[in-house]
Amino acid sequence: MIPLMVAFPLLFGFIIVILDTLRAKKVLIKATFVLGAALPVGIFLTENGREMVGGWSRVAGIEVGIGEINAPFIAGELILFTVVVLYSLSYFDFRDKKTAKALVLFLLMHAGLLGAFLARDFFNFYIYMEIASVSAFALVAFSEEPSSKEAAFKYLVLSLLASYLFIFAIGMIYMETGYLNVELVAQNAFPSRELNAALGVAFASLLLKAGIFPLHGWLPDAHSKAPTPVSALLSGLVVKAPAYGMILLFSALPVGESLKTAAMIVAVASIFFGIIMALLQRDAKRLLAYHTVSQMGYVLLGIATFNFIGAAYYALAHSLFKGGLFLSVGSLGRKSRKLGEFGYRNAPLMAFSVLMLSLAIGGVSPFIGSYAKGLISSGLEGGLKWAVAMGSLGTLVSFTKLNYYLSKGKTGELRVSWKLSSLVLALTTLGAGLYLGAGLKPSDAIYIAAAVLTFFGLRALGIFERGVQSEAKDVGRDVNVLAAVFVTFMLAVLLLQWP
Amino acid sequence: MISPEQAGVAIMLVGIYGLMAKREPIKLVLSINVVSLGLVLFFIGLAYSPGKDVPIMPTNPVDPLPATLMLTTLVVDVAITSLALAIIIRMRRDGP
Repeated sequence: MIPLMVAFPLLFGFIIVILDTLRAKKVLIKATFVLGAALPVGIFLTENGREMVGGWSRVAGIEVGIGEINAPFIAGELILFTVVVLYSLSYFDFRDKKTAKALVLFLLMHAGLLGAFLARDFFNFYIYMEIASVSAFALVAFSEEPSSKEAAFKYLVLSLLASYLFIFAIGMIYMETGYLNVELVAQNAFPSRELNAALGVAFASLLLKAGIFPLHGWLPDAHSKAPTPVSALLSGLVVKAPAYGMILLFSALPVGESLKTAAMIVAVASIFFGIIMALLQRDAKRLLAYHTVSQMGYVLLGIATFNFIGAAYYALAHSLFKGGLFLSVGSLGRKSRKLGEFGYRNAPLMAFSVLMLSLAIGGVSPFIGSYAKGLISSGLEGGLKWAVAMGSLGTLVSFTKLNYYLSKGKTGELRVSWKLSSLVLALTTLGAGLYLGAGLKPSDAIYIAAAVLTFFGLRALGIFERGVQSEAKDVGRDVNVLAAVFVTFMLAVLLLQWP
Repeated sequence: MISPEQAGVAIMLVGIYGLMAKREPIKLVLSINVVSLGLVLFFIGLAYSPGKDVPIMPTNPVDPLPATLMLTTLVVDVAITSLALAIIIRMRRDGP
């Protein structure tokens, strides 16, 4: 039954295409969309364990499964996607001819993400991740924003280069071990130069697709220029698929100490780089996009310390609060996204949701962010524990900034379903935190106080006046530079592993 | 003699060079296609071994898996190329 989780969204996606061609009623298209999005939830609640598609032997067949490690990923996917579906029903204009096509792409992305999270072999993981990415490119290009096409193009070319190198690494793994199934690869993998090279190439490619510093160059543009529900999905879910791929990779192949250390350094660098860049942003959605770079650093930190459960729960937590923040900020800032020009002064419910989500992303108890951060730091040594704590503080400073500006401005008319989707996600972060047992920690009050003080200190210094303005001038030049950075990084990882 | 795998890797490197050195969006898409061609050649070379049979009613077959994987990759490649070209057209229409 588990493969049906992927089959339903695909099937209903194609039904929407047919209905749209036959000029069916809008209600019918909406119902098909909701059904395709919701049916996998039912299967997820009833099914468990491993399964071979078609009942072949493990050597020849395709294995899928729901286990301890991927269940949080899937849960996050299903919750956020359901909320985004409700949001997009009132976001898109259904008289527009393009809307039905966008809905099809949403369902394809749903199928791709679920397939990637369920996969237990490398090639199927790649194919489903690619389905999700292709839908993501097209959905970014859907936006009406100026230079959204450039952002989509940059995202497409770089992500595709990373994908091809990832398959190249899969080819090397297949050459060495003779299998693609994760378990069988793990049984047949012995440390060798070829496997080290494959690991390095695959690691660098997945890092690019996950948008982690220093390979994040495409992310802020793509995530901030996309339509609001798409931004929520991109930041909340699409970057999680490569992170899950890294978990598969690290659990199957012998990872050397040098690669582990490199991954930890990259993770910490990503956490702080994301925060610093976010502090300097004036565009609210770009600020959130840089926080994705920072938050993916925590996920990588979990993976690098082989704390896969911690990484999985952090990914779940990030899906919930970052999806919620993008939906809230996107609905508040319909006219302008510049900080200070819009806000929640006349929308108390929205203010309540945004505040809750900001506390959740800062890792304040009893929200789910606190539980996930606790899991991540439980696997860390002394110095890195401090890095996580400082990261929390930085995140809180940055969200103090966001809320400070939001509390000054006013917003236009908000639809009920928009307020509801932010509120549902905010309450879910709280409910999941309580359910998972994140107790109330009094020390968090010190963090919040320190963050507010730091914010006003930085504001007095005039840090936020400067801001970095980065408009894409020439998309070709950008791609050249980012590809060169990617190749350099990959070579560095390869040389690092040289025995 | 250079083996098909080595030739494939060399072609991939040519494509990556194109991505780092060419500014024109169309040329970037072509470079990506070159990378994918090299990749396909690498995989086909992986499965090829002289003297073995075709994998249809075989006695001593070659490994059919890499070739089938490449079929899937080619499909992705075609889809992506058309999408990239469509985005380039839209870029020109909106752009300066």
